[in-house]
Amino acid sequence: MSKLLLTTVAAACALAIPALAHSRQLTLTAQLKNYGGDGAYLAAYLTNAKGAYVRTLWVAGGKAKYYKHLSDWNRLSSGDTKRLAGVTGASVGAGRTLKVTADLAAALIDAGYEIRIDAAAEDMRDSPSEVRVPLSTGNAGKPQAGKQYIQSLTFQLQ
Amino acid sequence: MGWKAIHRWLGLTIGALAVVLGITGAILAFDPVQQAWQAPAAPDDLSVATLVERVTRTVPGAEEIRHLPSGAIVVFGFVGDQAQAHYVDPADGRVLGAWQPSALPRWVKNLHRSLLLGDAGRWGAAGIALAIGVLCVSALVLLLRRMGGWRRLAARVRGSLAQRIHVVTGRVVLVVLCLTSLTALTMSASTLGLVALDAGTEPDVVSVASGQTALPVGQLSMLQNLSVQDLRKLNFPDAADPEDTWKVATSQGEGWIDRYSGKKLAWQDVTLAQRIYDWALVLHTGEGAWPWAVVLALVGASVLLFWLSGVFIWWQARRQAPHITGNNPLAQADVLIFVASEGGSTWGFAQALHDALGHNGHRVYTGALELFQTTAATRQVFVLAATYGEGQAPAHARHALERIAKLSTNTNAVPVTVLGFGDRQFPAFCAFAEALEKTLRALGWPALLPLECIHQQSSQQFARWGQALAQALGEPLVLEHVPRMPPTTTLTLVTRQDYPGLVDQPTAILRFAWPAQSGGAPLHGHGLAHFAAGDLVGIVPPGSAVPRYYSLASGWEDGFLEICVRQMPGGLCSTHLLGLQPGDHIAAFIRSNPGFALPRTRRPVLLIGAGTGVAPLAGFIRRNDRHTPMHLYFGGRNPERDFYFGPEIQHWLGEGRLASMQTVFSRIPEGGGYVQDALRRDAERLRDLVAQGAIVRVCGSRAMAHDVAATLDAVLAPLQLSISQLKAKERYAEDVF
Repeated sequence: MSKLLLTTVAAACALAIPALAHSRQLTLTAQLKNYGGDGAYLAAYLTNAKGAYVRTLWVAGGKAKYYKHLSDWNRLSSGDTKRLAGVTGASVGAGRTLKVTADLAAALIDAGYEIRIDAAAEDMRDSPSEVRVPLSTGNAGKPQAGKQYIQSLTFQLQ
Repeated sequence: MGWKAIHRWLGLTIGALAVVLGITGAILAFDPVQQAWQAPAAPDDLSVATLVERVTRTVPGAEEIRHLPSGAIVVFGFVGDQAQAHYVDPADGRVLGAWQPSALPRWVKNLHRSLLLGDAGRWGAAGIALAIGVLCVSALVLLLRRMGGWRRLAARVRGSLAQRIHVVTGRVVLVVLCLTSLTALTMSASTLGLVALDAGTEPDVVSVASGQTALPVGQLSMLQNLSVQDLRKLNFPDAADPEDTWKVATSQGEGWIDRYSGKKLAWQDVTLAQRIYDWALVLHTGEGAWPWAVVLALVGASVLLFWLSGVFIWWQARRQAPHITGNNPLAQADVLIFVASEGGSTWGFAQALHDALGHNGHRVYTGALELFQTTAATRQVFVLAATYGEGQAPAHARHALERIAKLSTNTNAVPVTVLGFGDRQFPAFCAFAEALEKTLRALGWPALLPLECIHQQSSQQFARWGQALAQALGEPLVLEHVPRMPPTTTLTLVTRQDYPGLVDQPTAILRFAWPAQSGGAPLHGHGLAHFAAGDLVGIVPPGSAVPRYYSLASGWEDGFLEICVRQMPGGLCSTHLLGLQPGDHIAAFIRSNPGFALPRTRRPVLLIGAGTGVAPLAGFIRRNDRHTPMHLYFGGRNPERDFYFGPEIQHWLGEGRLASMQTVFSRIPEGGGYVQDALRRDAERLRDLVAQGAIVRVCGSRAMAHDVAATLDAVLAPLQLSISQLKAKERYAEDVF
């Protein structure tokens, strides 16, 4: 119960802060491996220092039927009724690159927040928390390898 | 639109796409078979806890265990940064080899479910599945209609080769194909988001670390009590996340287990929608049920067979369909002409009547008799009806009498005039036309003219009927019928073998050659059609428009066309044929005689022939390369004069093409009488042969065939069998003249 409250408060803060403080643009670039399967479903989202869900950055893949395979994101974000609002696109083919942008409150940077991506592809193993990168200025521009599907994940801040 | 039209047009159009789904489906069925081949099955009593203990020893980075539908156990894990998946032997946890989701390229599956067109293609594939379902339902309706109800569903299928293939295959695979379509739609409904399978969101549960270390897997009671047989998937808790839980999925639902206490934290039952989906998946893919996958593969491949035979049936029917030029819509026509024709020649007369009435300003509609009806605009109706066989209706019009009786009301004010077509040589001359006339009058329909029967397609008689019609209608009318002849081929006489026959009835076996033609020509209606012994050749003598038919004593494979011709007193065609010398030509065409032709069989064959009737039987024996036991009963008058094919038959007997021969001659002392006398003497043996399933073919004069049937009925009575029963099973056929 307290955890849900925390999540809600955190989400509210994240959404409210950009209106108060100045925001920065985050660009995520995920280069996929040639894993030899159909298009991958990816969910990129933000968690806070305690590992609680803050907001969804992007969901690649349109069929809700398969969201349970992005299990961490699906579980953590279940309370967020607007988790898909304006942040969905097509699944990403093997060897292709996903590039998306999101506006972030400047206060989230270097504050223990983390970018996480869950990944899954048909007939292959689900990969919750395929990659986790702390949202810090130092990590910007540094490619980070995923466990199963993602060759490298890079984020840029502007 | 009737079921037939739905079936035809859906089959011709979407059927082509269904072939793609069928073939790819057949290929995909390879996967379950191959996986079943590879998988060592888990022992029944193995608990999941034990399995996990074994696996953790052999696969250090294990994160997930799946129990595949095939029975195989696959362990997923990481070695360093590399994701790995391996088959393991559940008996000892030994790694068996790398796991691949499928042995087939991805595009096969994507072609099957989305035609390689993404989401739009999934809708398309679902549409095709629906079309296949509709095709199956319409096929069932048509099948029941064709076979005559549920009880006769297993009866013999008649018709052309393509029709038999279509119907026989359909009878076998229809249910499976229909099921495949249903399961495909079930799966599409969830994929396209029309049905939700999930039990809602996953519960938010964590393992609560209260100082202790994680329990060893062997002490997790839930996994101890769970058999590997019921397991679907087990996820290990993440080593780096102290709050992570065990997650186990079974066929009943999903559960979460605390890694420290081993307590069940949450449980979600599988939804009904998910259960239905799981069943549909197994039924559609054969996953985990390889014998079913083999069935599915065969059914998938059969779609191609259906489509090809279906296209061929449609194309054949189109080619053979009678075509009336200048036809009017039924609703606007004041004169209706309905036709019942077996060979198609009656349509020519209908066209002549149609043209003559149209010339006088009438709006005329001509259609098949089974479409009989009248409209408000109708002023006159004519029925042109041929008779088939022993007085039956032509096949297409066999339900016409019932239809007419059903349509009739007490205000049948429009005159319906019947014109019959037939041949006086047959005892049931114009019997169907007479039955029509009787039915119509009994129902109160008036007639413009009394029933008239045209003998042997006589154009003169037809023209005379036209004069009577002109008078009755009170308008000038000239009926000029030019017979429509099938395209003929010029045949050249190669040899002739003369027999003295009886007084004034010389007979000859004539052997003809046909001109060289390309292989595809008969298919396109050019050149001589392929034929087999027992089929008929139509020959048009000079000075006549009506062809005469002779039974063929040879097949296409023999490389020559052979007939046995006896001089008929005053016979136009026999006189012409017997006057031919080698090198002379005739115009001829082939008419198939499917009821009489001999099927490929290992069962004994009983051939009974008299006089020139031995000709098709000789053709059967000549091509008996497989040495099917054939037994010939031949009846002649005098071995010196009319034992046609005598030397050849002796030769075939020596070669084993003929198993036995009984000959009788009626005009010599001690000749043995008639062929039916020989049958009566051999009653015991004949009963034996028929009890073994013998097929019987009789060829000769009408009187002879009648006597043979009566004799055999008496012979078979002790077996509780009759000729009509044998006929119904297509074991008995006659070719009479």
